[in-house]
Amino acid sequence: MSTTVTPPPRKVNRIGLDVLSYKGGKTTLCAGCGHNSISERVIECFYELGVEPWMVTKFSGIGCSSKSPAYFLNLAHGFNGVHGRMPSVATGAMLANRRILAIGVSGDGDTASIGIGQFMHLLRRNLPLIYIIENNGVYGLTKGQFSATADLGSKLKTGVINDQPPFDCCALALEWGATFVARSFSGDKKQLQAILKAAISHRGLSVIDVISPCTTFNDHEGSTKSYAYMKDHDEPVNEVDFVPHFEDISVEIPEGGVQDVRMHDGSLLRIKKLGRDFDPTDKLRSLTELHQAQQRGEVITGVLFVDTGKPDFHDMLHMVEEPLATLPESRVRPPKAVLDQLMEELR
Amino acid sequence: MSQTFTVAIGGAAGQGVATPGDIFAKIFARRGLHVNTYNAYQSIIRGGHTFLTIRTGVEKVANMGDRIDLLIPLNQDTMDRHLRLLGPGAAVVYNSDSIQPGTAADGVQLCPLPVSQLADVTRNKVAQNTVAIGASLSMLGVGFQPLEEALTEQFKKKGDAVVAENAGVARAGYQYATEHFRPFSRPLPMTENRYAVVGGNMALAMGGVAAGVKFYCAYPMSPSTGVLHWMAAHARKAGIMVRQVEDEIGVINMTIGAAHAGVRAMCATSGGGFALMSEGLGMSAMIETPVVVINCQRAGPSTGVPTKTEQGDLWQMLGAAFGDYPRLIAAPTGILDCFKMIPEMFNLADRFQCPGLVLCDLLLSEGRLSVDPKDLDFNAPIDRGELITSPDGANGDYKRYRITESGVSPRAIPGVPGCIHTAATDEHDEDGVLISDEFTNPIKRRAMMEKRMRKCSGIEAAVPPPRLEGPRPADVTLIGWGSTQGVIQEAVEILNEQGIPANYLPIRWLVPLKGDAILEILRDCRHTIIVENNYSGQFARYLRSETSYVPNGHIRKYDGEPFMPHHIVEAVKEQLAGTTNLSVPMHEIMV
Repeated sequence: MSTTVTPPPRKVNRIGLDVLSYKGGKTTLCAGCGHNSISERVIECFYELGVEPWMVTKFSGIGCSSKSPAYFLNLAHGFNGVHGRMPSVATGAMLANRRILAIGVSGDGDTASIGIGQFMHLLRRNLPLIYIIENNGVYGLTKGQFSATADLGSKLKTGVINDQPPFDCCALALEWGATFVARSFSGDKKQLQAILKAAISHRGLSVIDVISPCTTFNDHEGSTKSYAYMKDHDEPVNEVDFVPHFEDISVEIPEGGVQDVRMHDGSLLRIKKLGRDFDPTDKLRSLTELHQAQQRGEVITGVLFVDTGKPDFHDMLHMVEEPLATLPESRVRPPKAVLDQLMEELR
Repeated sequence: MSQTFTVAIGGAAGQGVATPGDIFAKIFARRGLHVNTYNAYQSIIRGGHTFLTIRTGVEKVANMGDRIDLLIPLNQDTMDRHLRLLGPGAAVVYNSDSIQPGTAADGVQLCPLPVSQLADVTRNKVAQNTVAIGASLSMLGVGFQPLEEALTEQFKKKGDAVVAENAGVARAGYQYATEHFRPFSRPLPMTENRYAVVGGNMALAMGGVAAGVKFYCAYPMSPSTGVLHWMAAHARKAGIMVRQVEDEIGVINMTIGAAHAGVRAMCATSGGGFALMSEGLGMSAMIETPVVVINCQRAGPSTGVPTKTEQGDLWQMLGAAFGDYPRLIAAPTGILDCFKMIPEMFNLADRFQCPGLVLCDLLLSEGRLSVDPKDLDFNAPIDRGELITSPDGANGDYKRYRITESGVSPRAIPGVPGCIHTAATDEHDEDGVLISDEFTNPIKRRAMMEKRMRKCSGIEAAVPPPRLEGPRPADVTLIGWGSTQGVIQEAVEILNEQGIPANYLPIRWLVPLKGDAILEILRDCRHTIIVENNYSGQFARYLRSETSYVPNGHIRKYDGEPFMPHHIVEAVKEQLAGTTNLSVPMHEIMV
């Protein structure tokens, strides 16, 4: 007996694309790697928000983290730069073409070790870039040495104890100018989704530090970046819900004890306080919380800071609307009047 | 060489050497005379010794020359250092209130100016400079009006009172000289031409404008900083995004990011900054994104002598970044060539999708030259090569690194539907997918290496061979590269005038070198000497490595100062006499 199976109607997002259009290549990272979960969230978020993937450019540096753009958004352009230099590559590309929607994926080595200088200067720019740090505290591709985000006293598989305190990339980002700062855990699907969507809607630099355990080199007893450690020490400071501007649905979090942040595109970020009195628009308070959590051995996660009022880099520089990269050849040189004036200055 | 006249102004940094220099250059150029200026200075904000020479003449002047005709010492130190350089017919104009002349050679006219009697020195701190300019122009037989115009332009921002004050002071100096000093035997000539005065860094920046550059960034580093200053000052008007970046690593990566997005992007630095850029250059080669990088050489190694010139970075450029990749390297042969080279380099970098390196040096970067405005062509042809900027350019099955016969693969900018790809610094397949990831596949790696390196033959064909200049046959052929062309040309003229038949081979393109063409030219040359501003003969070693050619001799200089014509002339004579095959001329001007 044969039956005809009617395929279910293809599920598409608001611009008519199915989720496959947001997928990437097959991952080559280790099974259980936190980075793969982050890639999944990126796919879901861009799909659900209905972003045109070909308008996106994926920037990355070098390391396991930086390979992951290959595993999402196949229809987006990619730029896989050298180690730790993604911030300036992205800056140059985005100044040349301000219509680029940019997502950068870096790791703790790429950002906090070799790339710390570039990262710090990126923070000053409020470039409208989503900067994800896939943070596992070790170098995976070179077989598990400590990075500069490894906690003091954290232990390698070989028994080596880390003897230097870590950089806290969220604290740096808060202090030096990022306008959206969040920390999450690759194992917290709901939180990471809401944070990523808010970052996609944010016009300015978003720094998202995601603790993303390395199952091969840093997931053992004594590591402070393992799944087990995070399960015990993850302290969300708030619960976040994201309502995109094109959807008219009720917010899951009920009124009361919430802070609503209206994003640039009209989307709503609803932030509910959890336990402590935490205000993500108060930069100094957030910094204090980060310091205190560090002392307690806790990892606070959630939206740590959001400021939608600052001009982004393009506005700061008074950039023209038209991208420089697509100017027709007839207009790449100044008009005659300007050239004549240049010559006049020389006489 | 026809008659030229050289004014030299010296003093401590901060005493205002530059302004009189600008005024002289402007007046000479407006008079239809050619001008070349060279400033010998030190890495100090106040104090030290700065010595500016301005040489002028009816015919083109491409170097500082051998002789100072008029010395204007602004302090005693300058008088003490340089009076001995003056010969018969020369003059020294100085403030007799504060400066004592030493012993001058016979026939040198001492021209003391009682500045405090001619100007209110309590009000005008640089009165001695202005008085001296006035006096000098009187002795040169130049009317007062051009000076009045120049001073008006110089001071108009400060108001009419300041203009009038300075014009008064200048006139007092002018009249005093007319009454008290002997004019120079030949008054300064005049022609119908009107020249613009252009600095090398300015020329490089304007060359960028002519090339359609839309993105420029840099980290300040002498002697390249002038490019950044010009770009920053003209960014808005010229429609160029100009950024000062945290370091040269950021600079090169930002430049590549912008270029990758589709604009023409350029940056400039000096040797130390270039060293930091080499990692990024490798990236531009691997992802096949064209950028133009200018290295304005200073004397090295390390921080070296930041304010002195040298041609010591050739091997750094040849070896910049690890691995084999196609690159272009050219050294401008003069200040006007700084302008012309930029559009040319961009066209080739775009066509062959590889880094284009411009090897300039302090001598050109900070020197200034009279230029006929007609020679500054802002409509130079633009060839972006195989660049896809819209979906119309997409041709079905797009592969960014498609294997082609030429090695050049059509380059799509980000955001073109149908041409989406990933640019990666790891070795990749034709479609951009990394082959370093799972298994490298030696066949694919070989194919990609060969694809990229095949561009070298296209590059070789796109660049013209060098040409032998001057009479032939000749007893001696001088070979130089880049900035030494001007001084070699004059040395060759002098040699010919003195009865030693000489010609010269200026090298502009270093990669590709056109070695076969060079060998063909040199085969018939009787005695060849390579002239270069470095210790080890970097070009001589490069030429030998590429062609096995060994010249008869070398003239080298590595004291931070440029060659003067007589350095080369005398060295050639000693080498033709068989005394030596390596001459290292002594720089007589103590700066």
